[in-house]
Amino acid sequence: MNPSEPLRDLTRRHFFSRCSLGLGSVALASLLGPSQAASGPAPASHPLAPKPAPFPARARNVIYLFMAGGPSQLELFDYKPRLGQLNGQPIPDSYLEGKRFAFMDSSFKNRSTLLGTRRQFRQHGQSGMWVSELFPHTAGIVDDVTFVRSCATNVFNHAPAKLFMNTGSSQFGRPSLGSWVTYGLGSEADNLPGFVVLQSGPRGPRGGAVNWGSGFLPTSYQGVPLRSQGEPILNLTTPTELGDTRQRRAVEAIRDLNLQHLVATGDPEITTRIAAYEMAYRMQTSAPEAMDLTGESAATLRLYGVEPDRPSFARNCLLARRLVERGVRFIQLYHTNWDSHGGPGENLEDDFEKVCRQVDQGSAALVKDLRSRGLLDDTLVIWGGEFGRTPMGENREKTGRNHHIDAFTMWLAGGGVPAGHIVGETDELGFNAVQDRVHVHDLHATILHLLGINHEQLTFRFQGRDFRLTDVHGQVVKSLLA
Amino acid sequence: MLIPRWCLWALTLSLAEWVSAVDYLADIKPILIEHCVSCHGADHPKSDLRLDTAAGARTGGRHGPAITAGPAEASLLWQVITGTHAELPAMPYKKPALSPSEREQIRLWLAAGAPAPENELPSRKIHWSFVPPKRPAVPVRDDSSHPIDAFIRQHLDKEGLTASPEADRVTLLRRVSLDLTGLPPSPADVDQFTADSRPDAYERAVDRLLASPHYGERWGRVWLDLARYADSNGYSIDAPRSIWPWRDWVIQALNSDQPFDRFVIEQLAGDLLAPADSPDDTHLRQRLATGFHRNTQINEEGGIDPEQFRIEAVLDRVNTTGTALLGLTIGCAQCHDHKFDPISQREYFQLYAFFNTQDDVTLEAASAADRAARTAVERATQPVQQELDARGKALEPRFAEWEAALTPAQRDALPLEVRNVLGLRPEQRNDAQRKVALRGYFQTDAEYRAIEQRLQKVRSGAPKIPTTLALKERTEPRASVVFIKGDFTRPGDPVQPGTPAVLPPLPVADRPANRLDLAQWLMDPQNPLTARVLVNRVWQQYFGKGLVETENDFGTQGSPPSHPALLDWLACEFMEPTVSAGPAWSLKSLHRLIVTSATYRQSSRVRPETQEKDANNRWLSRQNRLRLDAELVRDVALVASGTFNPRIGGPGVFPPQPDGVMNLGQSRRSWTVSTGGDQYRRGMYTFFWRATPHPALAVFDAPDGFSTCTRRLRSNTPLQALTLLNDAAFVELARQLAERIQREAPEADRLDYAVRLCLARRPTAQERERLRTLWQEESREVGDAAAWMTVARVLLNLDETITRE
Repeated sequence: MNPSEPLRDLTRRHFFSRCSLGLGSVALASLLGPSQAASGPAPASHPLAPKPAPFPARARNVIYLFMAGGPSQLELFDYKPRLGQLNGQPIPDSYLEGKRFAFMDSSFKNRSTLLGTRRQFRQHGQSGMWVSELFPHTAGIVDDVTFVRSCATNVFNHAPAKLFMNTGSSQFGRPSLGSWVTYGLGSEADNLPGFVVLQSGPRGPRGGAVNWGSGFLPTSYQGVPLRSQGEPILNLTTPTELGDTRQRRAVEAIRDLNLQHLVATGDPEITTRIAAYEMAYRMQTSAPEAMDLTGESAATLRLYGVEPDRPSFARNCLLARRLVERGVRFIQLYHTNWDSHGGPGENLEDDFEKVCRQVDQGSAALVKDLRSRGLLDDTLVIWGGEFGRTPMGENREKTGRNHHIDAFTMWLAGGGVPAGHIVGETDELGFNAVQDRVHVHDLHATILHLLGINHEQLTFRFQGRDFRLTDVHGQVVKSLLA
Repeated sequence: MLIPRWCLWALTLSLAEWVSAVDYLADIKPILIEHCVSCHGADHPKSDLRLDTAAGARTGGRHGPAITAGPAEASLLWQVITGTHAELPAMPYKKPALSPSEREQIRLWLAAGAPAPENELPSRKIHWSFVPPKRPAVPVRDDSSHPIDAFIRQHLDKEGLTASPEADRVTLLRRVSLDLTGLPPSPADVDQFTADSRPDAYERAVDRLLASPHYGERWGRVWLDLARYADSNGYSIDAPRSIWPWRDWVIQALNSDQPFDRFVIEQLAGDLLAPADSPDDTHLRQRLATGFHRNTQINEEGGIDPEQFRIEAVLDRVNTTGTALLGLTIGCAQCHDHKFDPISQREYFQLYAFFNTQDDVTLEAASAADRAARTAVERATQPVQQELDARGKALEPRFAEWEAALTPAQRDALPLEVRNVLGLRPEQRNDAQRKVALRGYFQTDAEYRAIEQRLQKVRSGAPKIPTTLALKERTEPRASVVFIKGDFTRPGDPVQPGTPAVLPPLPVADRPANRLDLAQWLMDPQNPLTARVLVNRVWQQYFGKGLVETENDFGTQGSPPSHPALLDWLACEFMEPTVSAGPAWSLKSLHRLIVTSATYRQSSRVRPETQEKDANNRWLSRQNRLRLDAELVRDVALVASGTFNPRIGGPGVFPPQPDGVMNLGQSRRSWTVSTGGDQYRRGMYTFFWRATPHPALAVFDAPDGFSTCTRRLRSNTPLQALTLLNDAAFVELARQLAERIQREAPEADRLDYAVRLCLARRPTAQERERLRTLWQEESREVGDAAAWMTVARVLLNLDETITRE
């Protein structure tokens, strides 16, 4: 006889005699059923339990491809023949009045002459979107995508700008988009975190973990980095000298003793603790399984351009699809380094070509793959950096461009966004958005809207105030809705 | 035709007599106070309209007089309260409308010509927390002599609830030990306490714990949360900093029970206190205390505007002062007048002006003893140095001769630096190079080397003096302005240092006020907020929630106190003790007062009968179970495993953490695990990188150090489970615990001993049986020692182990 059976009996009786403690019987069944440690639904007391969207939702999941460093829209998407004609000439003063730039000092004005792109552009697809030669794969998905050429942000240094793009504030300590979304909707995944972060490129994004932090929201909602080498999640692996049998035995004993204490104290918080251990134990199996690409066909690997076991952005794109299939609500990929000042490793010549190659095929493959599996309708894919680059050149060792906050391009696909569509336009130099300006707050409002959330109603009370992702700003961009 | 009687009665009265039935002071004024005066009062009246006197209404504001002679419908006041004005929105703005009877009274009053007494005093709706607390009478009761219990039980009666019985002795000792020192009691402590049959055994235990030097650590960490303490500069670069001497100052100040008013004044303005002439460290320690506001972040990213981030730090100091000490969301007024509380944007920048006139300085945190030791070493060094110089002088003339005689082998044996210089012709060598060459030669002289070694030995006796960050008032103050919409690139009107008008005035008239004035004003017993905010925060630590649940917002949007009289009584008792023996503002007295109450000592067991009436336990018919703070989760495991290193203070330490954590920040920092016992220090000493905090701290909700933290979250997640189950540090502590069990307890008693080390109590029969089954299964498969390891892991993972019951 199972030694813990009398205990279960006692606990069961205890529970059913005390419904007033507010423990759902579903949760209870999963706690008391035989060998539930490794299977069964997550108990309802889990903070990430899925919640219905308050309004009709177009998207269920989000994959956010974060281009860390700020890709140059002028080399990729925002085609400006006039800029080419004015190459080498000073920028008219009227553009610079009242603007602030990074690395700005007294010599700034003299250094800022206009720089035309040397990249070839062609129009693609039904929308006739201009895409440069550097993005041949992306050019092939323009009819699945809405390009927003009129994005604008407030902040011109990397770390604060990334924070701003992720949290709607350049101050540290605010929750990120992914945290707000999992706070609002929970997650369908009962054996993986609801908000997962994947990273590629030579180094981590500036600012690091605060970009996916939960700020003042409970830590249950923070992004969990899945690492491409070693353990996918910190402390995921049972110490080798212990082994799985002993781990399971320990987890079961912890559960039984916690249950006894639950009976003794009546504190429902212990139910949550028990559920957390159950999910942790399931994650020990499910996270490595999600990261394991051996089940993917050769055709799929070719589509993404993935070499098994070699960490890459493309590999992370494929993992993102696998995570969506497993119900993960919000997946964010970071790829460095898009910074292009013209210094070593950061020029707009070969360095830029390299980072384009690293990103192009994987991003496009992800959209194609999601579509062919019928997942694109439910999944919102977002592509973009924390800001764009100036029409003026920056001459360091080689050619580059400075950070630019007034106009840059992002793209969105699936999840209720129009297919083959262009939003916004910039002036002839690509300096300012002159039509349908989409500010970061508007983008946030729109993303939440697509997920069935009113951005003004998703709030959390902190330090005496109801905070929201969009603070006191943000308008849903109607032209981004299919 | 019948005419109603009341009409006949009315007809018999003159009009004036008739309307006198509406009494302005009794009927109208309360309506205006209730609905209008919070926006149309003395402080920044909206549309320049004041409705705190009838005269003000008659004068009117930007939209003209609110009251016009004639029928009520002619008056603006009537039009807006009925929402019939063509342009203006219905009033009260975005709030529920006046009731029909209230409107009717106003209509009658207006129709009568709005009579009101002359010389009417302006009325004001003053929010409760802006009125200084007055000590309420303690309810007299038969069942409790403790003032706290009298207040709490009075309310329990009203709710039809009863208090819970006292927790059992062991639970009580573990609770009060964790609450006062952050450390669980040892089995010996428990035995001693349970055997102590004196009636005041519990009070004695409380006194023992309050006298423990670990008390300062436990409550110091609470203060560090408010101060946003960390060991790195934050932002993207996140370079390390040295400010732990300030952290140690906090621990020592609490351990010596420095009165809380002094404690705060020194931290806000220690540099402005008169320098003491005495040879002790008083003034140095006061300057060191100003590190409180140096816990702001420092941005070292390339391309930034340093002024912008200097200003960010000043803004943070204002906001932190407001939240931490006044319990007000002052930061809301950075960009605009506060939407709900009477704080204007101008007043915000008057506070800003106090904090805008300092320089950030680095201080040598040298105690008098350090300085004396250093002088002694310098003195002892002098003769040896002279001896060394003399020997050098004697050797110098022979340098050329030595150089000329060097064989190639001898030359190759010289240090590279020396060889490089010798490669140059003598006339090519500059002064520095000549010195290098000479030193190379001197080093070949045995006598010179011997003297040099002696010198090093003397020097090594010098104390290592740490530095710390502090504030220093500038001699030339910086001018302050309002930033339009809070944007530092948009300077507005100049402002002088000043405090919000809704609070008592600053008693400084003849000179510009400074930070010391601000600090003293904050700690003045007439300040209605400071003491209430503090006692509420202390209360929150003991019960999980404050008497005011919004511990960081005592303003109009905060929640009202559950027990207003108790809150005020505690605040008054804290400032002016009557039942406590201690001095004014004594934190230890406040702690003693709370933990000796029956309310604190209650069992935390949920009672079904109270659950229906008070599921959230707002009325405290029981204690609350509280998951331990992140640092204490570690401390409990350290103590249980017997590895705990009780050393207090000193630089941050580096206990083990998983590989790869430091890669998550922008700058890759190293993490070399501490040795020599430092790997077993309390969690509060773990070096705290803001960008990449130790995962075991972050996962249990340690604050991030970016802004002031007035209450920690208590999340409950699978990542916490993975940490306790698999993290190498916790696995090692489990191993140590397993060894300790086998080493210290006879075989028959081991299970009980193991449970006592983790939970203080003995296991129930059922628990013992479950653990024995586990042990037997494990022992069969992997042997006894490994079975104890599993038992230890299970115990360290229990919810109860990481909970204060």
